Amino acid sequence: MNRRHFIKRTGAAAAAAFAAPYILPSGRLFAASGGGGLAQHVVLVMFAGGVRNQESVLQRYLADSQNDPNEGNIMYNMLNGGPPLEKIVYGTGLGGINPIPALLGQSLQSQGTLFREMHAASTGHYGGLNSLLQGNTAATQGLQQKPLNPTVFEYLRRHAGLQATQTWFVGNTIGNSVPLLNYSVHPNYGAQYGANFFAPNVTFGPLGDQYLGNAKVYHPNDQLPPIYEMQQFLNNSFENIVNVGTGIGNTAEEKQDIKAFMVEMFNKTANGSIAHPPVHDSGDLSTVGYACEVMKWFRPTLTVVNLSGVDGCHSSFTGYLAALHRADHAVGHLWDYIQTQVPEMAGNTTLIVVPECGRNGEPNAILDQNDWYSFDHSDANALRVFGMMAGAGVPAGLQVGSEDNPVGLATDIVPTIAELLGIKNEVMGAGFLSPGSMSLFDRI
Amino acid sequence: MHTLTRARFFLSLRGRIGIAVLLVLVLFFATACRKEPIYELQQVDLRPPSPDKDQFKTNEEYVAILHANMFQTGSSANEVYEMAQCIESIGDKELAREVVISNFMNKPGVIIPSDEEMRANIDVFIVATYNRFLVRDPSEAEKTWFRNYIEADPYVTPELIYFSFALSDEYMYY
Repeated sequence: MNRRHFIKRTGAAAAAAFAAPYILPSGRLFAASGGGGLAQHVVLVMFAGGVRNQESVLQRYLADSQNDPNEGNIMYNMLNGGPPLEKIVYGTGLGGINPIPALLGQSLQSQGTLFREMHAASTGHYGGLNSLLQGNTAATQGLQQKPLNPTVFEYLRRHAGLQATQTWFVGNTIGNSVPLLNYSVHPNYGAQYGANFFAPNVTFGPLGDQYLGNAKVYHPNDQLPPIYEMQQFLNNSFENIVNVGTGIGNTAEEKQDIKAFMVEMFNKTANGSIAHPPVHDSGDLSTVGYACEVMKWFRPTLTVVNLSGVDGCHSSFTGYLAALHRADHAVGHLWDYIQTQVPEMAGNTTLIVVPECGRNGEPNAILDQNDWYSFDHSDANALRVFGMMAGAGVPAGLQVGSEDNPVGLATDIVPTIAELLGIKNEVMGAGFLSPGSMSLFDRI
Repeated sequence: MHTLTRARFFLSLRGRIGIAVLLVLVLFFATACRKEPIYELQQVDLRPPSPDKDQFKTNEEYVAILHANMFQTGSSANEVYEMAQCIESIGDKELAREVVISNFMNKPGVIIPSDEEMRANIDVFIVATYNRFLVRDPSEAEKTWFRNYIEADPYVTPELIYFSFALSDEYMYY
């Protein structure tokens, strides 16, 4: 081989090595240059469990529901606007007369973009949650059934090559099929691309303390490897046609990390040092405290938090207002915590807040302690929701759409997250999104 | 004398023929009645050791059976329900089961043979462990693998072996 030939070949080999794509665990080729998204982390808050636009983004307090002229903003961490002046029932203390002070110096509306009127995909909780996580509303989706189409967690893990501990879903309950939402049953995705999930009020609550809180610690080098080796032998001997697939692909190291996190959470719960919001007198607020701990420990690429306290509106409008006020407090705390306590996420995280569905325009027959009407969620008004984004890559101080001009779909959230994290083309090309869904950035 | 000899000769001839016919008949029936040898192979089940386990245990079933296997006693319906809720609250069910087993191992009353007992008769221990957790006998290959594994590593304890059985895929099915 002459010198020129040699230089030509080595040059070509070196160029190929630099330009060659990485092969992801999925077997898919992924450009070495990375995703190139707008943010490094996304936090999605599935907000509160059926929220009427009238009491949230439209700030009408009692005016649009109880034949009472009092208006005002009870979500002042998220929205601009002054609070109601009379009939304060949503705060703390006897009768809820003390509003919870704002946590953020500047509202999220000012920091980001507010979609004032979006269209929900479902008037039900589970359908709504599915639409936020799948970007679709599968007509055959059952209530006690895992998602039929891939979730945003699976898109990220498969197409961006994320590890399991980089995607987290923090739920406030194990009811309403919420734990089923961490991965779908889609044959091309599924458990191997699922997200980690905790329902902290159970996992680290009294039940968890009793049955999970006293785990024996096994040595990671001397004791766990033989266990896994013998387990593997047994698994290989079990040639069942049924696919077990109950794990989500946490590596042994990730499992150890999660166990260490759990020990830390039991200790912190016992000594009262969980990163709860200043007021944490509800399940939603408690859940958000643990979500903060998850973010501080794992610094996930995607964190999804589910809140549902306002669903008490089926029988108590007063409780609904209090829960809405607390959900705002929870979101304010979450954002404040990211910016001040998680340096790895401060400045490069995008927050998205969307209710999974709205609530009815007409009340039901139930009156609460203040003789206020209650609201279910089944009519056209329950398809009205708002959406909000703030942080990395999001234009500040922008409002899109209005009550008379709806812009955006609940199913837009998946492509929006995909765009933020650099896998938009893969998600749009997968073909599982609801028709018409697109990134909210494309609607601005 | 000659006549007598001749008569004896005929008698003798007749008798000989009769005997010959009788012999033929005896031989015929004796041959017909004799069983042909049947050469057979011993029946060997070539299927996997656990082909019929295709029902996935619910979380409740899993913790109830695990408790029975570890403590040799049943747990209350309330405990089973609560433990299942704890598993439900963790997304990675494999991890959740590890944590539940680890908690059981830390409780008093768990019944596990000592290391000395196991090593005194490893084969007996292996068969007993398969019976306890997987409700079947091990195959020769399985028995050999575990025997070799235990003999090769003095730090492998019955507790670790029980842990691995409780985590195995087969244990998730009945």
